[in-house]
Amino acid sequence: MRNIILEKIVSLFLKVMLIFAIYLLLRGHNNPGGGFIAAIIASTGFVFYAIIYGTKKVEKMLHLSTHQWMGIGLLLVLISTLLPLFFSKEIQTGLWIPSDFPVLGLLSLGTPLLFDTGVFVTVSGVILTIILSIMEVLEWN
Amino acid sequence: MILLPAPIVLPFVFIILALLVKSSKAKSILSIAFSILNLAIAGIILFQVNEVDMIKSQMGSWPAPFGITLIADRFSAFMLFMSALVFIAVTIYSVQSIDKERIKNNYFLFTFGILMGVNGSFLAGDIFNLYVWFEVMLMGSFILISFGGERIQLEGAIKYLILNLISSFFFVAGIGILYGKMGSLNMADLAQKFAFTGSFPSLFEPAMVLFVVGFAIKGALFPFFFWLPASYHTPPPAVSALFAGLLTKVGIYSLIRIYTLFLFHFDYFWNPIILWLGILSMVIGVITATSQFDFRKVLSFHIISQVGYVVIGLAFYTISGLAAAIFFLGHNMISKTNAFMVAGWVHRERKTLNMKVLGEMFNKNTLWGVLFFISAFSLAGLPPLSGFAGKYLIIKAGIESDHIFVALIALFVGLFTLFSMTKIWIEVFWKNNPTENAAENNTKALPHGLMLTGSIILALSIIAMGIWAAPIVEFCEKAAADLLNTQKYINFVLK
Repeated sequence: MRNIILEKIVSLFLKVMLIFAIYLLLRGHNNPGGGFIAAIIASTGFVFYAIIYGTKKVEKMLHLSTHQWMGIGLLLVLISTLLPLFFSKEIQTGLWIPSDFPVLGLLSLGTPLLFDTGVFVTVSGVILTIILSIMEVLEWN
Repeated sequence: MILLPAPIVLPFVFIILALLVKSSKAKSILSIAFSILNLAIAGIILFQVNEVDMIKSQMGSWPAPFGITLIADRFSAFMLFMSALVFIAVTIYSVQSIDKERIKNNYFLFTFGILMGVNGSFLAGDIFNLYVWFEVMLMGSFILISFGGERIQLEGAIKYLILNLISSFFFVAGIGILYGKMGSLNMADLAQKFAFTGSFPSLFEPAMVLFVVGFAIKGALFPFFFWLPASYHTPPPAVSALFAGLLTKVGIYSLIRIYTLFLFHFDYFWNPIILWLGILSMVIGVITATSQFDFRKVLSFHIISQVGYVVIGLAFYTISGLAAAIFFLGHNMISKTNAFMVAGWVHRERKTLNMKVLGEMFNKNTLWGVLFFISAFSLAGLPPLSGFAGKYLIIKAGIESDHIFVALIALFVGLFTLFSMTKIWIEVFWKNNPTENAAENNTKALPHGLMLTGSIILALSIIAMGIWAAPIVEFCEKAAADLLNTQKYINFVLK
């Protein structure tokens, strides 16, 4: 049974959750936040979306399979880990782009942010894999 | 040293590829390629360590007591190399032995997860980091043991999972207590602080007891071994071969590491305990094995008995004792894995491992019979196989350090091992097939070329380790001397 009010609310909810997740991701490292918590919040949005629209639609929205998203997340983590090797430093050393942008002010862009983004993508992939496969087995909606 | 984190990064790269690639064939080829690469890297590290004694790497460029240290001395490099050897054989074996469905569902991803955890544990120079690698390894093994979800498998998996979680709990509780008292987690830093305050054992006993119990559960030592025979005969044979080769050995590796860094300060208390743990595991493992009638269960009980040998080698606490323990650990990894691989072939042919209904396997394929002969009689300790050198060194070290009683027990346990192995040999390979099902004997053999390759690699290593024992023992003696020289380890890490 379609319910237009719920569908509209859920699509809006997904957008809000994603924006909040990105806010938390960028806020992390120095303040409470970070990749893991952001991923949980973002996947909550997707789970609500899946409950109303069905799992097929979420899978279509993600373009790639959840396994591949996990792989991409781990790849980002790997890059952030190995990048210092090319600057002849030990692996996992933090590298920073010196930045003083005109409008945004001082941003700290560096390998920790890349690492956190990798965690974000991996954890979202894991949570969505678990929940979507449970929903498929139970034939939810 | 730039190559030191490679044994950890390499499995991680494979995990990423396994998630991105879809075809099962590509996954199998990649897994073999990566395990060869892993062996090559372990070989280079072994070679380098042999030249310069120890190499280390500080994660994230943070200096030693604060950042995470990766360190390889001779002992860890040897273990890295042996586990890479076991892993390559099991990977080649698995490509054919594991069913298509499991490979498609990323079986290799989890074996490489175990490899990552095992390699990490051997390199960890920080006790909390060691715990983290234990968890990585356990996560992979939890999934592999229940992977496929057959009924008997889940029964074994629950026992395995609960006992191992309890052991992790003990380990991490010990770390918590130690950190509260010492304010450091770096093993070298802790060892240095122990050297200064070692005269107050009551301060550290709670943490040390928790560590020893945790590692004894992981390594399946005497009072805590029940989970191992209850679970190792349930998963697919390739998985039990991998577990038999790698998992308990990591527990024993950690026990040796903490004994040589911390526990030896209180050896009036710990030495008899470790010695008796070893003797009892040795004797009880071998005696319970004789009453079993399942191929893999006999071998599982023998793991407990063999681990006992390593632990008594540690308890002698002389250079020759520790060298014998290290040699025996390496010998046991390859011999045991190979025995489990032969069990896997028998299971594939007959769909059962109950020795009462098996028979005449030697007629079916002579080569597999020979392979079993090599690994079984290496475990029993016949020359010129690796087991002979291992047992000889242990017994010799025992006599030299005035533990003649223990050396005699080790000798008798060797006889019992021979009895069990002969029993398997007669029941499975020699006696007439009791089912007398002519049609069954004439069925065409399933393809087993790759399985054979994996097993032959290990069998050749067993023979090589027996014949060229002298240079390996020399290496192990140097490793043992480094282990006994705690100050050298401390100075190298803290510099």
